[in-house]
Amino acid sequence: MAEIKYLSEHYAKPEYQTLDGYKKFGGYEMLAKALKMEPQKIIDEVKASGLRGRGGAGFATGVKWGFLPNNGEPRYLLCNADESEPGTFKDRVMMERAPHQLIEGMLISAFAIKSNKAYIYIRGEYMGPAAILEKAIAEAKAAGLIGKNILGAGFDCELDLYLGAGAYICGEETGMISSLEGLKGQPKLKPPFPAVQGYLRKPTIVNNVETLAAVVPIIRDGAAGYRKYGTEKSAGTKLFSISGNVNKPGTYEVPLGYPLMDLINIECGGLKPGRKLKAVVPGGSSAPVLTAEECKTATLDYECLAQLGSMLGSGAIIVIDDSNCMVDVLSTISHFYHHESCGQCTPCREGTGWMERIIHGIVHGHGSEGEVDLLLKIADNMKGRTICALSDAAALPVLSFVTKFRDEFEYFIREKKSKVRGGQIYAQISH
Amino acid sequence: MLKSVTSSGVAAPQATTGATSPQAKMVTISINGKEVEVKEGSTIIEAYYQSGLDIAHYCWHPGLSIAGVCRLCMVEIEGNPRLQIACNTTVVAGMKVNNSSAKVKDAVKWGLDFHLINHPLDCPICDQAGECGLQDQYMKYGQYDSEMGEQKVKKHKVVDLGPRVVLDSERCILCSRCVRFTDEVSKTHELGIFNRGDRAEIGTFEGKPLANNYSLNTVDICPVGALTSRDFRFRQRVWFLKNAETVCTGCSTGCNVKVYFNKEGLFRMKPVYNPNVNGHWMCDVGRDTYKFVNKEARLLEAKVVSSGKSQEMPAMELAKKLGATLRGHGTSAALVLTGSYSVEEYEAIVSYFKTDVGTKNIYHWINNPETFDSFDGLLFRGDKNPNTRGLLEVLKAQGISGSWKELVDGIGTGAIKTVVVAGPENQANFPDMKVKIAELSKVAKLVWLTSGKNAELDALTGDVALLPVKSYVEKAGSFVNHAGLRQQVDRVMTVVPGAVSLTELVDLMKEVGDAMTVKSTAATETVPAISANQIGQGRINNEFTLSRGVW
Repeated sequence: MAEIKYLSEHYAKPEYQTLDGYKKFGGYEMLAKALKMEPQKIIDEVKASGLRGRGGAGFATGVKWGFLPNNGEPRYLLCNADESEPGTFKDRVMMERAPHQLIEGMLISAFAIKSNKAYIYIRGEYMGPAAILEKAIAEAKAAGLIGKNILGAGFDCELDLYLGAGAYICGEETGMISSLEGLKGQPKLKPPFPAVQGYLRKPTIVNNVETLAAVVPIIRDGAAGYRKYGTEKSAGTKLFSISGNVNKPGTYEVPLGYPLMDLINIECGGLKPGRKLKAVVPGGSSAPVLTAEECKTATLDYECLAQLGSMLGSGAIIVIDDSNCMVDVLSTISHFYHHESCGQCTPCREGTGWMERIIHGIVHGHGSEGEVDLLLKIADNMKGRTICALSDAAALPVLSFVTKFRDEFEYFIREKKSKVRGGQIYAQISH
Repeated sequence: MLKSVTSSGVAAPQATTGATSPQAKMVTISINGKEVEVKEGSTIIEAYYQSGLDIAHYCWHPGLSIAGVCRLCMVEIEGNPRLQIACNTTVVAGMKVNNSSAKVKDAVKWGLDFHLINHPLDCPICDQAGECGLQDQYMKYGQYDSEMGEQKVKKHKVVDLGPRVVLDSERCILCSRCVRFTDEVSKTHELGIFNRGDRAEIGTFEGKPLANNYSLNTVDICPVGALTSRDFRFRQRVWFLKNAETVCTGCSTGCNVKVYFNKEGLFRMKPVYNPNVNGHWMCDVGRDTYKFVNKEARLLEAKVVSSGKSQEMPAMELAKKLGATLRGHGTSAALVLTGSYSVEEYEAIVSYFKTDVGTKNIYHWINNPETFDSFDGLLFRGDKNPNTRGLLEVLKAQGISGSWKELVDGIGTGAIKTVVVAGPENQANFPDMKVKIAELSKVAKLVWLTSGKNAELDALTGDVALLPVKSYVEKAGSFVNHAGLRQQVDRVMTVVPGAVSLTELVDLMKEVGDAMTVKSTAATETVPAISANQIGQGRINNEFTLSRGVW
């Protein structure tokens, strides 16, 4: 096995951005095919394909669609393009290179779940991809692919783009719904879940960009065709965003179950000469860190990474070599979560700030004994105690960094300097 | 003590009260190992309240929507590995819930610590001390040493949210109760939470101060010292105050309230939950109805002005003199009544005038007729008297139907020579006070019964007598609200020892020449009217009564 261009087959071709270019390679043929199918048949096909949410949670897409109540209420399909997990940039590549693939996937999905209104919620910083998408949506509208009676099949679907204001929390599905409703981007209390009461309190499905785009090849190849890639429980291919200390960082598509070290060493050209792998964050900054030892056996699928106590998440792999001080890295991560906590639930609002201030103090040589254990206690009590997963996202890196690299933290506190980079204090934390 | 007795009408339940029907189906669940029956569809936190069990919480309030943000009401549900919040989990028959396990206790302790790490520990100078949710729950569920060694977050202090409410953002725990109140109850939407994370602060929108007529409810529901009442803050430590329940006399809604007082007088009023009258709330105008009760505003001694000479005397002495004058006075005497007095007082004085004085010249002074029937949709009514309905019922029962014009004509022609006025208690609600005084002072002899001082009355020169009467907290009696609900109140305290109620006045007037039977109460005897075991008695659906505290 190696890198495979399944979703990203034509991403290298600039013309693929345009409607004509997209059509040249079979674009919108799957929409035509899908519109002739029974909507339930599409849902069944997606269920059978084993496609799981590519945004991070990895929930089975077809099953999620099945949660919609049959109550005759209008339904909404929302595409989560908020991609704000640090380390993740695969949705950006998809939207820049193949905006029509996403639009086609959304239209098929909207048809399957009987929704006549779909939105793409894109993060505020993605002005470039937003412009590309807007152009693509306009092209599709002009071509009658969006709007009334699509391809003469009697299906109406409007699709609009909504630009967020750049808040991590708006990537959480109910936070995104709040933002889309014009409210402060704060997650909503569940139950009710979005499938029952979501956008405007109507049944709503929220899917990631990659998830919706993957519906297109599933229609083309069928569930069995899609299942050719990946493992039994983690079917298909996935785009991984690799950043950090590798020679060729970037977005790579590999089948799920692909060995992590192969991706680092083969596709990404390995580490810089003389450097040794220290750790890998496998699923975005909120995923627990893996040690070099753990990486040896790691394969890129939901099950293996869960077994290792981490997660596949959004597929954002951050490679950390031995030139990095783990206290510095955690300090950056903790600053991010402190900055992004919406402030609704007390443990997260207060805990993220508390942890950041402690780690910030350690990095600046003001650490005191017992703070390592205190960090563990705070993180432990933030986990699973809030409305959304941001609190967990802030707590998990702290727990894993402090547990797995405890000596570096203790050294820093004791010696008032980094075990890795010595006494130099980086002015890297900005407020 | 309040006893609600429905008389002529059926009480109209308020939409905001959340009253549950008494026929609700019950389910059995287990709380902390004890089987309890709770209403079907209740949340777990409501089940705790229905069963009289304690549970930690800040953001949940029975009169507001569920926010689920304080994360304190953690419970362990059998079969669920994760702790759940009790406020957003509905009970299911057979559910086994506990909040007594070490796991829950530890979670609650940490929940408290998260609330407290950035909260200033300056309780000695905080006005909320003594009735603070953080203090109370720390003593109950916390009692640990905080490990917080970092700098606390700095936020705005002494922020004027509006004319009546002051915010201290550092003390705020962002429970969002006040925001939900302005969104859901007053529907005025002035408040919001600005910024995010631990920089988040409550605030008002540009050009939209918290100036609605219900703003002080936000102070009541604020579990900490973040929102304080400009009127009350720093005037008295709460542990120096006693409290007693009565009804608000600010308008005809008759909100159930608690008055807070000590020997210096009354300091503030807070609503008491009654689903059939006011739910959890009361209006800001009603909050001021303690002010005219205090000594500074009161007429302390009776005063008689006669042939240019003014003389002060005890009320009882004047009462006896009046009794001698009025007995058998006949139709040249008239009585003017306002809606400020209790049903019992009306009954006594009306029948005295009919039988002892011998006149049916009894008139109703309506203060603000043009807005009498207005209603703000929540609690505040245009009829700014507590007992207009009670007065009308008494007048009807006694066959009295005199019009104001008759009175004015009677004074004009000299047919009416003596007028006794049971004047308004809350003079601010009588915009026509001056006009009426001018009108009525044309009579040969004017007797004005009043609890409060009044400059116009003091300036009168003819044959005038002023007699101090008791305010609503100084006497027992019942008031009939706009919907016909008769609410009985007990005496709370005595502010003016020499004042008499109308009933006592009638007794005094009747006993001309006899030995005195009515004794005044000394001011020091400020005994609360309620004994502990009476609390909650007679009120319907009282599961969330504030006797258990807002928490």
